Amino acid sequence: MESGCDCGGRLVSAPWNRAVVIGAGLIKMGELFEQGYEQMAKGAFDAAVASVDHGFDPSAVDAVFVATQRGTLWGQEGIGGNTVPSAIGLAGVASTRIENACPTGSDAFRVGAMAVASGVYDVVLVIGVEKMRDKSAEEGLLARAASGHPVLTRGESAPVLFAPFATRHMHEYGTTREMLASVAVKNHHNGALDPYAHFQNEITIEQVLASPPVCHPLHLLDCCPQTDGAAAILLCSPERAAEFTDKPVFVAGFGVATDHPYLHEKSTFVGLPATTLASQRAYAMAGVGPGDLDMAEVHDCFTITEILDIEDLGFCEKGKGGPFTLEGNTALDGSIPVNTSGGLLAKGHPIGATGIAQLTECWWQLREEADQRQVALRSGFALQHNVGGRGSGVSVVNILTRNG
Amino acid sequence: MSAPEVSIVALGVGVGDRRLPLAEIGAAWGRGGRGQVAVCDADQDPLTLAWTASDAALAVIGRSGTSIDGLWWGTTRPPFAEGPSWSFLAATLGLRADAVGALCSGSTHAGIDALEAACDAVAAGRVTTALVVASDALVPGLGSGFESACGAGAIALLVERGSSPAVLGERARTYEPFLDRYRGDRETETREVYDGRLFREEILPLAARAAAALNVDPAATRWSLPDPDGRLGAGLAKSIGATTVSSAEHRRSLGDLGAAAALVGLVPALVAAGPAALVALAGGRATAIAVNVTAAVPGAAEAVLALDASGWPITYPEVLRSRGQLVANGEQVEMAVPPGSAMFVRDSRDILGLVGARCVDCGTINFPPGIHPACLSCGGDKFDDVGLARTGTVQTFVINHAMPAPFVAPLPLVCVDLDDGSRVMFQGVGGGADLAIDAPVELVLRRYTVERGVPVYGWKVAVTAAVAS
Repeated sequence: MESGCDCGGRLVSAPWNRAVVIGAGLIKMGELFEQGYEQMAKGAFDAAVASVDHGFDPSAVDAVFVATQRGTLWGQEGIGGNTVPSAIGLAGVASTRIENACPTGSDAFRVGAMAVASGVYDVVLVIGVEKMRDKSAEEGLLARAASGHPVLTRGESAPVLFAPFATRHMHEYGTTREMLASVAVKNHHNGALDPYAHFQNEITIEQVLASPPVCHPLHLLDCCPQTDGAAAILLCSPERAAEFTDKPVFVAGFGVATDHPYLHEKSTFVGLPATTLASQRAYAMAGVGPGDLDMAEVHDCFTITEILDIEDLGFCEKGKGGPFTLEGNTALDGSIPVNTSGGLLAKGHPIGATGIAQLTECWWQLREEADQRQVALRSGFALQHNVGGRGSGVSVVNILTRNG
Repeated sequence: MSAPEVSIVALGVGVGDRRLPLAEIGAAWGRGGRGQVAVCDADQDPLTLAWTASDAALAVIGRSGTSIDGLWWGTTRPPFAEGPSWSFLAATLGLRADAVGALCSGSTHAGIDALEAACDAVAAGRVTTALVVASDALVPGLGSGFESACGAGAIALLVERGSSPAVLGERARTYEPFLDRYRGDRETETREVYDGRLFREEILPLAARAAAALNVDPAATRWSLPDPDGRLGAGLAKSIGATTVSSAEHRRSLGDLGAAAALVGLVPALVAAGPAALVALAGGRATAIAVNVTAAVPGAAEAVLALDASGWPITYPEVLRSRGQLVANGEQVEMAVPPGSAMFVRDSRDILGLVGARCVDCGTINFPPGIHPACLSCGGDKFDDVGLARTGTVQTFVINHAMPAPFVAPLPLVCVDLDDGSRVMFQGVGGGADLAIDAPVELVLRRYTVERGVPVYGWKVAVTAAVAS
């Protein structure tokens, strides 16, 4: 690499801090049959506007990046880049839809940050909106079992993309179903403290173990729900941040990485290399390491995914994710609290909104506004992570800091 | 000048994996039932059975598909009523690109049509090694007598010029325009005009005439004889003076194997030297062929074991579902098969033939080649086509329980490290209860689905030995 910087791009000084989160908000996640795509977008935008410390005039938005992943199945989401501005009262503004699998929201955030840092725009809205439940599961997510290649991907519903990793991780490291279950128990505990979470109930390890099988070795409570939701973040340039806030949260760094999409092309079934690569780039850009984080919101679409994440992100040694979780290291009062919002498992996974909702939780934590979920801040850095696509073929990591 | 002699040099069989107790059918229709028939699992059909038999025949004498220059396949009801049935089977076996042959169908006489055409082509010197396949898994009318007779099986013979080990000899034939077993155009189920007296007095005599025309000693000959209902065969044997009926035992345990019946019935006679003969009766035609067995035919003993195997039980509703006679109500997800998916067209040859692309630079095998114009290891873009290994071990697996119709749970999906270093991921055979990491497995051809009448074929993973836990 020409620059000698390991962030996957040109040499930058760390932390990057060239974009500032001035506002963030989301709507209550759930099965929102009563709200359409446009209404959810409006709710999230209003929440973000209302969160700006010094008030915010919506006309200040220079450009919108709309994060919607499943854009081609229902109605007008496929052209969310032009439907969302109209729905939130910003018709006329520059707007683009972004799709990048499960990291769609986090990648739209990265693009928004770069748009601000480029100097082209002062204020950018990144808004994630996803309708997961307007159609039945059979016609929605599960239908992907039949999509794609007629032979190579036949029968591959979403759990099939992660369950093989659980099988292998359990075989190689002795990870148990109880250890997997402890992820769901922790995240449901956090979700019960989060007013925006889809599920707000505690569960037990026994309940996870006794839930019906979905995709062996994963059972129902090892899986995140299908959730409708929306979340929005307002970004601005460091130069103008003081107009809007006294508690700026900076984009310290980010990383994106890809991997081969088909499962039979994976180099390993005990880790997701895209996550590792993306995090290395983000850490380099932010000038921190995993030990410098106060908390993290990571992609826990399934319990095994969080186990893989915390290993691949460097929170614990490869293979130790199960015991690390079972021992409470990732709990609210642990050494590295993970998924304080309840994660995808409890808060929900409205795909395009997911990453932006995670970043909202990081923003609250760094501003010490997370109420009962508030973690102790030491270094002032928080990490957000998604991984997804076929074969976990793409990962995005964003790192925020309150240190200007 | 007499024609050159033609001999069977190897054989293999394929039988539907499941056994349906006839009492199950009887119970559904308020009557009794004894015995059983062999039926397909949900992922088997006449093409996969044909592949199983052919693969066994090739393997027993260490041949590959490239040694075959002619394929004659007889099946009453090809998986594509009109379409590429022959080329699909040829691709799964990796036959030479210039292989000749034909698909014979139209009645259960198709198996014998295929055999005769292949023998004539070999005798004429048009082909050197012919593969003759006969397979059937018919869809019988619900509640009909034929439903309780209808089995599922296949046989494959490799045929070459030569005077051993099983020379195809004299042939005799006759025909009458009778209507016995048939399926009308646009009908989905095979029907049978079954009247015991009609068969006994009008149809079976056709077979007797063909058999009597052979210049053999009937009492010294081992006979494969037709038996439309499981009882008439005995009367036919008596009428032609046959004392040894090699087809009787498997007719009882497997049912009527349709186009494969006459040849499968001969198999027990091919394990030891001596005179043998088969009689096929179907489609208003009767054909008798004498076979002089000079030594055990390679594969015959293994085939008898396969025919004797007990198979897994299946329920009547499961059979109906796999035959497409029991269909879930409501919307089903549309699947990515032709004409909805051009991917099928692009990758068909490589997937059916298990062909990978080995990177010239780093040796990594990319599969299927169509999804990797650049090597997944090094990014190189120069490749050699290679046939993948068919055996390997389990790297990891899942068993999917949550899928929309028409999927049926549990559905195993297995990632396999093949013995040549390549890695593939396919569905598993059965419910996956025998799967374990590191278990030794083999790839077998199965039917993944049928949508809008289009069968989709692919390879599945079958565990070959249990792993000690």
